[in-house]
Amino acid sequence: MLHEFFIYGLIAGSGYALVALGFALIYRTVRFFNFAHGAVYTIGAYLAFVFYVLLGLPLAVAVLLAVPITGLIGVGFEWAVFRPMRARNASSLTLLIASLGLLILGQNVIALIFGNDTQVIHSGVVHEGAMIFGARITTIQETIFVAALVLFGLTAALLRLTRLGVALRAVANDPELARVAGVKDGQVITFAYFLGSCLAAAASVMIALDTNMTPTMGLHALLYGMVAVIVGGAGSLWGAYFGGLLLGVAQNVAVWQISADWQDVVAFVILIVFLLVRPEGLTSLRMRKGGV
Amino acid sequence: MDYIVHVAVLASIFATLAISLDLVIGRTGLLSVAHAAFYGLGAYSTALFSVRLGLPIYAGVLAGLLLAALVSLVVSLPSLRLRDDYFAIATFGFQLIIYNTFNNWTSLTNGALGVFGIPQPTVFGRVFSSRLDFLGVSLATVALAYWIVQRLSSGPHGRVLSAIRESELLALALGKNTLRFKLVVFAVSAALASVAGATYAVYTSYIDPSSFTVMESILVISMVIIGGPGSSRGVILGAVTLVVLPEILRTIGLPSAVSANLRQIIYGSLLVGMMMFRPRGLLGRYSFGR
Repeated sequence: MLHEFFIYGLIAGSGYALVALGFALIYRTVRFFNFAHGAVYTIGAYLAFVFYVLLGLPLAVAVLLAVPITGLIGVGFEWAVFRPMRARNASSLTLLIASLGLLILGQNVIALIFGNDTQVIHSGVVHEGAMIFGARITTIQETIFVAALVLFGLTAALLRLTRLGVALRAVANDPELARVAGVKDGQVITFAYFLGSCLAAAASVMIALDTNMTPTMGLHALLYGMVAVIVGGAGSLWGAYFGGLLLGVAQNVAVWQISADWQDVVAFVILIVFLLVRPEGLTSLRMRKGGV
Repeated sequence: MDYIVHVAVLASIFATLAISLDLVIGRTGLLSVAHAAFYGLGAYSTALFSVRLGLPIYAGVLAGLLLAALVSLVVSLPSLRLRDDYFAIATFGFQLIIYNTFNNWTSLTNGALGVFGIPQPTVFGRVFSSRLDFLGVSLATVALAYWIVQRLSSGPHGRVLSAIRESELLALALGKNTLRFKLVVFAVSAALASVAGATYAVYTSYIDPSSFTVMESILVISMVIIGGPGSSRGVILGAVTLVVLPEILRTIGLPSAVSANLRQIIYGSLLVGMMMFRPRGLLGRYSFGR
């Protein structure tokens, strides 16, 4: 039984990890808790719904359209709201509240267009995937797990091997020094919003394929992502990955031991314990050595 | 007429919530997303003491007040040491934990079905039953909250709060025990929210967890931000505006599902717009979070 819930935890955790990764990329460059990321996440799933279910495009095409468009919407939020605020030296708390406003705005606009009810975006028949340690998982669940690993690997490569990626790590480590060295931080922040929002869309589309979608799905996904980031350490990419997996496994073990009702409480108790005992997260050492 | 009184009662309950939250946000410069949790603690204590134990309303109100203040210490004692945005995230966590407790501890709270038949209070042998009676009670609560917040944020005590808001380091350097001030402010704010919750519970005589969600917390934050942090009159204006708004949307014939979404769209946009162009709110005196 434990194996089974462990596997389910890894799958749920892979989803949290992807949200956490996108959130952390943005957080590292702009240094505020961006709740608008939750709206971006929801928009990604609904765009895929429009392309795939309403317009009848093939699933792959729908995803390939939805992900970059969501990325651009994330950039749009940055350009329209956060950049002008930063230009006026807004504090991180002011930015947080504005992003909370964007989240509420986004999820209610979606609710007005598509209704408050659950929308279904199943890819036809649910395919029975492998049996792993007694856990019966579907193909989409396998995809979530593999995609999370691949996307983390790709993002890590992007940050190491491309000019913009290196610049992003520089801004994340020390914005002042990066500016002195000639890094254009506006460009880097735009890049972070684009990449982070694309990752949110990738996560939300897969999770919607697995568990359907509602306009309010973003806030919860985002909060889990934040917990993953805080557990893993805001400074580290792989920290977000393991933070996500840890949260997913802890929640599913709680489902097994207590009941599914208390999943949220488990997540937020973990959050508060970490905030109090180890606010720098599990991987703070890597952060000090300068890795992103 | 009855309907207008009903809206007025709701507006004064939210005004009490907004005034008490402003003590934390506007006067002391901390962002708490847990206000609906304290509001709920007051409502549930009042409801459960009278429905389950058959005790008089006062006992429940008093218990709710103490419980909210006590829980506020559990929240604030450790998390007030965190940096301000991490504090906001910690209160987010507490809000969700307490909401889930209301929702899932079914043997005590009856879960999502809620608590029915909360009895009407008797004051000096007179049963409170009409809406006008409740308007009197809720207006008195507003006045009480207003007076307490004015007292705490004026004079030497208020100057320390302003100092914490502007620069906590400076306040510390002047030898002020800032943690103690923040604990007191947070506890008083929670206790006032619980009184608003008690009023709400006896007024509607039925409560369920959906009135105490994180969205409700954000609604009260919006009232403070839109009205003007640091100004009790401003946040009352904010509260009245955001309570009356959906009623107007409903009277012009929008279905209630649409008007609920529209209301959130309006206050979401107002939050963004205020933070971008007028961070001190309509009647506020200072820019929040500078």
